[in-house]
This record gives sequence, structure tokens and C-alpha cells, in this order.
Amino acid sequence: MRWWVAVAWIEQLLTEAKKSVDEAEVFFVKATSVSAELKQKKVNLATTSEEYGLGIRTIHKGRIGSSSTNDPGQWRECLSAAIASGKLSTAQEWNGLPQPAHLPKSPLSFDASIRIEPNIVIDLIGKMLEGAAEHPAEVTSGSASLSSSTVTLANTEGVRYTDKHTGVSLSLEAIHGQSTGYEFDHSTYMEKVDPVGVGEKATFFAVESDNGKEIATGEYDILLSPLAYGDLLGNVFVPALNGRNVHAGRSRLAQSQGESITDSQISMYDDPLIKKASASMRWDAEGSPTHRIDFIKEGTLKTFAYDLKTAYRFGETSTGSAVRGGFGGLPSIGHHNFIVDGKRGIVDDERVIYIHNVVGAHTANPMSGEFSVELSNAFWMDGGEFDIPLRSAMLSGNVFDMHRNISGLSKESRAIGSMILPSVKINKQHIIGK
Amino acid sequence: MNAMPKIHYFDLRHVTGQVTHIDIDNNVVESAGTSYFNKAVIRVLHKTGWGVLLIDNYKPCHGKKFDALLESASSLSSITQGNVILGEAPNGMLAVPSMKEDPRDVSIEEKSSLLSGIEQAARHPSVVNQRANYIEKIEHVQFSDSSGNEFSYEMCRSGFNVLAVASRNGNVQMGYERKHSIHGFNLRHQQAEGEKAAGIAVTLLDAAIPKGGKMRAVLDPELAGVFAHEAVGHASEGDLIHEGNSVLKGKTGQKIGNDTLTIVDDPGIHEFGFDPVDAEGVAVCRTEIIKKGVINAFLHNRETLSSVGNGIAGHARAMPGEPPLVRMSNTFIENGDAAEHEIFEECKNGIFLKGSRGGQVDPGRGIFQFNAEYGYLIKNGECTKMVRDVSLSGEILTTLHGITLCGNDKTMSPGYCGKGGQSVPVSDGAPHILLIDAVVGGSGVD
Repeated sequence: MRWWVAVAWIEQLLTEAKKSVDEAEVFFVKATSVSAELKQKKVNLATTSEEYGLGIRTIHKGRIGSSSTNDPGQWRECLSAAIASGKLSTAQEWNGLPQPAHLPKSPLSFDASIRIEPNIVIDLIGKMLEGAAEHPAEVTSGSASLSSSTVTLANTEGVRYTDKHTGVSLSLEAIHGQSTGYEFDHSTYMEKVDPVGVGEKATFFAVESDNGKEIATGEYDILLSPLAYGDLLGNVFVPALNGRNVHAGRSRLAQSQGESITDSQISMYDDPLIKKASASMRWDAEGSPTHRIDFIKEGTLKTFAYDLKTAYRFGETSTGSAVRGGFGGLPSIGHHNFIVDGKRGIVDDERVIYIHNVVGAHTANPMSGEFSVELSNAFWMDGGEFDIPLRSAMLSGNVFDMHRNISGLSKESRAIGSMILPSVKINKQHIIGK
Repeated sequence: MNAMPKIHYFDLRHVTGQVTHIDIDNNVVESAGTSYFNKAVIRVLHKTGWGVLLIDNYKPCHGKKFDALLESASSLSSITQGNVILGEAPNGMLAVPSMKEDPRDVSIEEKSSLLSGIEQAARHPSVVNQRANYIEKIEHVQFSDSSGNEFSYEMCRSGFNVLAVASRNGNVQMGYERKHSIHGFNLRHQQAEGEKAAGIAVTLLDAAIPKGGKMRAVLDPELAGVFAHEAVGHASEGDLIHEGNSVLKGKTGQKIGNDTLTIVDDPGIHEFGFDPVDAEGVAVCRTEIIKKGVINAFLHNRETLSSVGNGIAGHARAMPGEPPLVRMSNTFIENGDAAEHEIFEECKNGIFLKGSRGGQVDPGRGIFQFNAEYGYLIKNGECTKMVRDVSLSGEILTTLHGITLCGNDKTMSPGYCGKGGQSVPVSDGAPHILLIDAVVGGSGVD
């Protein structure tokens, strides 16, 4: 495979840009996908897509301009729009786009065996339904999709990077009486997804949660599944580690660097270089080489995430944390593979309330960390076994404060989007019964 | 266009347009400019289901080229296994309301200056960050189908958000105001919105966290609108009913609320969720989901109208480049006859909840949750102590009986609603309402 496949119009674009601005950057994505959707147990809709995204950034005397289009044939108009946009933005300290680095060329999250073909998604759907048949719940909907994309980044400093990604994604929903179950799986590698398991768990949770019992309002020890924990963490805690939010006064953690902010067994880090993980990249969305970032080490807050723009403005260094939202989106601060780690052990040996999912985590207050969410597929768990399902209750608390009460992390971790998380046991959390 | 003989139906929805944005954060213009998009969806229906092509950078074509696209979609649909029949629905398009001032007639420099005025208005000694965003999206939509229907229209949606963050001794609170419209440029004379966001953020620094539990609640029109959207709207979507994933399935005619309660979705009114025609070319129309407390009708596209019945099509909506789904548009609780002061007097002791940070529903289980921006404790019919971080949850089939009074001051609020990975503009609204036996979430203690 040739590492840099010369794309003539990108070279032309950069040459043209240099006539008007100090620096320019091109981010180009080309992606194909195929998916199938279930209505109950029958495939009702099959889709293929061919998508393009071109994002251009220009920098001139510290003013950053940008534009995007999904028609690469319109790159001249897009470049003009980016240059015009730069004239509006406020000038800032700017020390240049990244220079080329000698990075390994093998992709980290590309499975060459994945073919973007309808019959493969049909096979995956069949396996999910096979798993779903293990329990007497009705399948309501589901989907399977395969995708492949090529990402190209080039800038006027000589960076020419190309990377390939693949993805497989599965989900299934089921209902039993008035009790619902949902499960999903995703990976960059076909061998890492478990379609039978997705189907089996969706119907398991629907059946097992039926005939839920009430719970009295009070303080309880809880065990959050990676799914429930990830929902709260991603909506509140992760944005507070974003350097831009920190310097803008939008992070509760802004003044806490060097302080103990979680239980001492907890570490949180971003590892962009894990082979086969969902969000692995050797370079970030603006071409800075990526590396592991230790945000929290054994409870102590060590650092925040930065892209070039925020780093230059506040005298920091980019942590290689630039990501792009969607096709042709502007770079902003995010993470690659966000991992919560620490001493692992048995977390379900004592009686505890297991919470598989929550409803409404996005309504949490991202500044203060306060939240109240409805529980979904929650159970009294005893000796590692699901005991009594809970019908309906709310969990209220503070995402930041509850990290001080973590009493255990499960042995196993699970990928939830671009986070890799264990189940987390937290003591004395407030549950409101009905 | 000539359809393949084996194709039952096809349609093409091609959307081109541009998005202009301005982001001002703590007096710095972070970014400003315009981006462009061109996206098309071709759907082909066989008896067993749909084959759909999502095409970026679509160049309109006819004859053999278009037939080849239909053939690709058709061959894709051969893997489907269902039995899809389209219900009959009237076609037609409403006029798009004219704009008082077209945003395209205002230079981006002037937009930036006006937005900066709103952002600066949010400055306050206790505010550590103020941020304002402007967004303007222009979409040219072209629709055609195998029955010979053709529609084209242009929609412009524009508006702004302003955020103020106040901080004191590690206590960080926010105030957030937003105004979005289909009626044209709305950045002029809006500094008061910045001041309001700052005022709320600063006041919240001294607000208490309520103790959760069951109590009486008064909901303001914005939050009551979100209640209608989350607690009723989603569960009435025809696709969820068809899948068996809604507690409202099979409940038509059942009384689930008081006579005062009527909940409507209407894509045809000139609010932020307005569509002149739906994404399948069907004429849009008002649907009374709950009528005087009784489950009356569901929201449908042509497919779910046929498979579920009871309701009308015209509720298919789509993001550019995405296949249409059954969606809400402008969803509201109709006015009742109670005056606002009567609602507070009737509440007597409870909580007044204002504004919305969004919500979520599990329609199959019939459980919903949504969050207020802030509120006040009500003592003897009067608002007293301010509270923050308060949410509500409940069960669809029982909670609606708890709406005992509806005011006469309905107002609509713009927003966006997510479903199936697609986000579409909507508005929600209601008058002030009284909800007894509300389950309020809060981590406060006595």
C-alpha cells in the first residue's frame, strides 16, 4: 500500500492558499457504509452511503479561518470562504501548524477483512436474532452497519498523512410486557464484536427487568455498568478536562490541578495508540503526533487536554487532543480512547444496586456536576447474581463528588463509544423511590 | 423518470445549502464563516422493504444515469424481508412564511457586531465566562417521486444562544438563553437575553438543591412543552407503535388524562418546527394526539399509517442526506382556562420549575425524565427560595392524570430533537400547568 496517495487537487489547493495566507490545512474524509435495519424480526430497510467531507483551515497573522463542503470539486470556493472567514476572527498567538513527523505507517484501527457488503450485515442481523431467541422477549428494532473511511490530512508545512478506519456496529432493542432491554456493540475489527451476545443481552434485560419492585428513597451502594457510568462521565467529567473549558471558566476542575479529586485508586487517561481500539490515531485532527495523556493519576489531577489553538493562546503545549466532529468539521479538543483504570477486583460480592442504564444523563449540569436520572434495567444484586428488578427510581447526585466515593472497579472493561470503562461501585448514593 | 418495472415506489430528496456560524467566547471571535453542503437520498420500495442510497455531492441526472441509481437501490432492497405497504396520503405544500429581514441581506461583520453586543451584555462581576453563538442554516429542498409529485422550497432558520457561567468558591453555575426563528434575522435589540443569562447564572450561585420526592409542581410553558414532547410525543410516533415499542400501542380511546388536557403536533404552524411539506411529499396537518384526556391519534409517515392506522401521514422528517423518520415538529399542550395565579394558589405548597435542559424517554417502558434549568419552592401559593438542578420523572400512563390545571398563556420555545442519529428543528410549548404527584429528583437534604 502506498502511504501517501498523491491527490493532485489537494497539492493545488495548498499552493493556491499560500498566495493569500501564511498557512493552510486540508482535512479530507471519504467514507462508505452499508447498514440494515430491523422492524421487529424482519429487515425493513437497507442503506448504502458514500460520503465526503472537506474541511479547510487557513491561518494568517494569527487569524484562523475555516470552511467546509462535501463537494471536493468546489475546493476553490471553499478556500475563498475560509480566507474570508479568517478576516472575521480575532487574532491570537500562533506558532505554526505541525511539521511532518516520522510516524509508523500501519493503521491502528483498520480491519482489512471487513467488506462493505449487504450480505455481511444480514449475517450479523441473523446472529443477533439467534441470540435474542434465548429469552422470551419480543424484538422491536435493531440494526447492523459496516463502514470504511480514508482520512487525509495535509498542510503547508509539509504534513501529508493518510489513515484508514473500519467499523462494525450493532444494536438491538427488545420488550417483554412493559419492560425494555437494549444492547449494542461496536468495534473497528469484526472479530471483536459479539452479535449473538448483543441479541441475547437485549432480550435478557427485557425479561429480567419485568415485574420490578419499588424501592424506598434513601442512600444505597450502587454498581454502575460501563454504559451507565459512561453516560454520566461523558456528559460532565470529560468536558471538565478540556483545556478550553478550563481557561474559559467553564470547568469545575479549573483550579484543581495537582489536587486529589477522586478516590486514590482511580486513574483516567487517553491512550490513542491501542491497536484495534475504536478511536486510535497516530496523529490528531490537526496533525500533532498523539501520545498517552494521564489526566488523573491515582486520584490526583495532573493535566488537561489541549489542541494547538488553545495551547498557543494560553502558553500550554498541545496534547495531541484535536478531534473533528463529523465530516469536514473544525478541529476542537476531545479525546481518542478515554480510559478509566485502577485497582480491579470483585465488585458484586456484597448486596448492591446494579444500574445497567440511565435515562436523561445529558440533562446533567456540566458546570456543577449535579444530576438526576431515571434508572433503566436496575436490579438488587446479591453475590454476583441479579436478584430483584427495580421498577422505577431516580438516582440523584454530583458526578464530580461521587468519584470520591468509588469503592471498586470491575475486572472487565468495555468499549462505550471512544471510552473504555469498567463497572464502577460507588457507596452511599441517593436514590429517590416512587 | 421511468421506474424499473419491479419497483413499487421511489423518491428522491435532494438538499443543498449553506450554514453560517459565529462563535464569540469571552470577547474573542473564535470562528465565523460559511460552509456548504449537497446531500441526496434516493429510496426505492419493493414489497419487502426499502433500498436507500445516501449520496453526497449529488448531481441531478435523468435517463440511464438515474435508472442506474434506482437499480442500485433496488438491488439493495432485495435483502429486505418485511411487507411494506404505503398508505394513501394527500400531497401538497404550504407556502413558506416570508422573512421580516433576510439574514443574507446582513453582512457577516454586522452579524458579528450584533452578536458581540449580546455576548457583552452577559458580562457581570461574578460571571467568569460568557459565550454567544449565531447559526444560520439555509436549505434548498427538491423532492420528486415515482407518482409524479414534485416539490421544491427554501427554508432559512437562524438564531442565537448565549451562555453565562458564574463562579464562586468552586460553585459553578450557568444561565443559558436561546432564540431561533423561521421568520428571519433576529439578532437586533437582543442584549436583554445576555443580561438575562448572566442574571440567572449569578442568582443560581445562591440557589439550594431541592430534596427529591413526590410533590406538587407548577411547570412553566417551556418545561411543560418539553413534558408534552417527552412524555407523550415520542410514544405516539407511528414507527415506535408499529415496532411494539410504545406504551400507547393499542390504547386508542383510553382516557389517560383529565378533560383539560389536549396535546397536539402540527408541522404546519409557523414555529421553529415548521415544514411546508413532509419529507415524503405528503401535505402536513395537525394531529391531536391526546384530545380531552383521551388517546386520539398517532403521528405517521405513509408506511406506519398503513401498518398502524389511526392518525395521518405528513409527519415524516429528515436531516439533509438522511432517510425520513416519523418525527414531531411543533408539539404543544393546548390552552386551558386557568389564570396563572389560580395555578399557584391551587398548588399551594410545592415547586415551580422553569426552563429546560432537555429530557429523554423510554417509550416502550413508558418512563420519561426531563430537567428544569431552575425553580422556586412554592409556599402558600407564593414563590420563595430559588432551587437548581432539579428534574422530573414519571410514567406516561399515570402521570398525565396528574395534570389538573392548564393555564391560558401558551407559548412555544424552539429546540432540536434527536432520534435515530438525526437532529431536527422542533418547537415545544404549553401554558403554565399544575402537576400533582410529580416525582422530583434532587440530591438535596433537609
